[in-house]
Amino acid sequence: MSETDDRNSASSLGDELSGDLKTRSLWQDAVKRLLRNRLSIIGLIITLLLLVAAFFGPYIAPYAYTEQDLLHVAKMPSIDHWLGTDEIGRDMFSRVLWGARTATLVAIFTTVISVIIGVVLGALAGYGGALADNITGRVIDIVMSVPGLLLAALIAVSIKEPVVTWADAIYDSSGFPLFADTTWLDLLVVFGGLAFVSWPGYARLIRGQIFSLREEQYIEAAKAVGVSELKIALRHLLPNAIGPVIVTLTFSFSSAMVLESSLSYLGIGVQPPQASWGNMISSNIGSWSYRPWLVAVPALTLAIVTLGINFLGDGLNDALNPRTGRSI
Amino acid sequence: MFVYTLKRLAIAVPTFIAVLVITFTLTVISPFDPVEMMMTQFEGTLDTLAKEDAIKRIRAQYGLDDTYWVQFTRWVGRMTQGDLGISINKQRDVLRMIVKSFPISFQLGLAGAVVTTLLGIPLGCIAALRQNSWIDYTIVGGTLAFRTVPVFVLAPLLLILFVLWLDLMNVPYGWDGIFQGKVVLPICILALGPLPVVVRQTRAAVLEVFSMDYVRTAKMKGLEMWRIIIRHILRNALIPVVTTLGFITEGLIVGSIFLDSIFAIPGFGAVAEAGFRGFDYPVIMGVTMVSAVMIILTNLLVDLIYPFLDPRITLE
Repeated sequence: MSETDDRNSASSLGDELSGDLKTRSLWQDAVKRLLRNRLSIIGLIITLLLLVAAFFGPYIAPYAYTEQDLLHVAKMPSIDHWLGTDEIGRDMFSRVLWGARTATLVAIFTTVISVIIGVVLGALAGYGGALADNITGRVIDIVMSVPGLLLAALIAVSIKEPVVTWADAIYDSSGFPLFADTTWLDLLVVFGGLAFVSWPGYARLIRGQIFSLREEQYIEAAKAVGVSELKIALRHLLPNAIGPVIVTLTFSFSSAMVLESSLSYLGIGVQPPQASWGNMISSNIGSWSYRPWLVAVPALTLAIVTLGINFLGDGLNDALNPRTGRSI
Repeated sequence: MFVYTLKRLAIAVPTFIAVLVITFTLTVISPFDPVEMMMTQFEGTLDTLAKEDAIKRIRAQYGLDDTYWVQFTRWVGRMTQGDLGISINKQRDVLRMIVKSFPISFQLGLAGAVVTTLLGIPLGCIAALRQNSWIDYTIVGGTLAFRTVPVFVLAPLLLILFVLWLDLMNVPYGWDGIFQGKVVLPICILALGPLPVVVRQTRAAVLEVFSMDYVRTAKMKGLEMWRIIIRHILRNALIPVVTTLGFITEGLIVGSIFLDSIFAIPGFGAVAEAGFRGFDYPVIMGVTMVSAVMIILTNLLVDLIYPFLDPRITLE
């Protein structure tokens, strides 16, 4: 998403340089509004840094995430180890970079899965008539009446073993090397739990958008001249609903990250030695009073990243929904 | 009113039953074996034959070999008698564990809710009255900062700040009742989670009331600003804030899961965390169930008191 923004910003700058100021599209307008807001620029920079760390982190990282330097255990930040080393001598900077990859991977997959479920069910509720709407509404109520974290944890706990057994069975029968290493299964389990608790937000949003946009006069006009339902949905509903969806995407990207680290903190999500900011905090929190940097490094990283993404989301909200103004 | 109450209950009860079914199904479909996990504690002390025998007896004792429906009906039946099962790792009654921890968490939660309200409403009000000024942006941006930063990030950072850097307090550790200095930090951390929602709701409500005719009339007849705010704006603006109660409850529950172990508070959250870490599924189910009941009840309570606060809402 940020890549698209980037492209847009580049093209809008290009347009301005060529003196073509009169024809600004909705998107160029939004980019202009976004870049006017200082907080959202900070958010954009942090988000881009996160993406760079996630995609190139393993190549930038000076050490492997499991590499132990037993001569330098629990050391303060130094030239060799920029952010110090943890209690078994692993480089904190490298682990933070690997943790960025974990967090981003989980957030992207969770967001994609929950958007797909949410859009399908939301569209079903919006188009499928009163009965479908009622049923979807009740399911959403049920999912939302259990705290997201508890439900995700419960799902992760209960599907973990079946998933591992299933992968083992596939490996035994096919010998497919992908299934030999089960670390990515931890991620799969976390995706499942998180996607299950995050889709209701999207379903509600899509349903609400369908219901409110349907009343608009331009939809009525399109119907009157005989445009087909599908074409109305694609040409009129979709472009108008995409703004709020992008904003929700941004916010749920950061909350998926927080939920992943919460699960990993509780020992349910990504398992050590795999690096996740959550399990880094969890394994170092006991020594906060005498080795504060060990817990401060992952904690600050998580705090800064979620803040940055939220600032970006807030800026996008102002930029993409100008009519509602600064709705917080 | 009676019909209205019944209608609300008619929504709450099936929701609760559905939560029961989901929770139970999830723990049953998992072939994850708590008994095996328990046996690893006795690794080496029992020979293989005795171990298999022990596993068999424990499985029979907990009824783990019965079919889904037998287990489900037995579980629901027991639950109606207040029996949530026995913790596998701690060998204690789950309900008793929760009930014992509850007063502590209730006091902390109540204090947290009070702090959230006392901070959130004035802040939301100020933000609305100074709409689009730097004060508004600071309040909104500042509380937004706490919207997703989780407790287990905030707690160690604030501990490092207050204890190590500013040297303002001793290490807050343990529980000796609510009237102790060491609960201040945990309560504030708990309160910060739901704070943005209260601020946002208050701000929006005040903004809406602010443009009403009667506020303009009050201004026109020369009423002082503080009197307008207290007499005319807040009285009407606070009604929608009540709806955030369900969210506050959820924030407090989730917050306490992380908070209790960090501050060594023997509360509901400590029970929950130990349950998750030990894959102790009677505890996990009990905790999830009690949390769901609390949230459903809070939302029901909000629905029931709302018509009293806002008579325009018809009871039908």
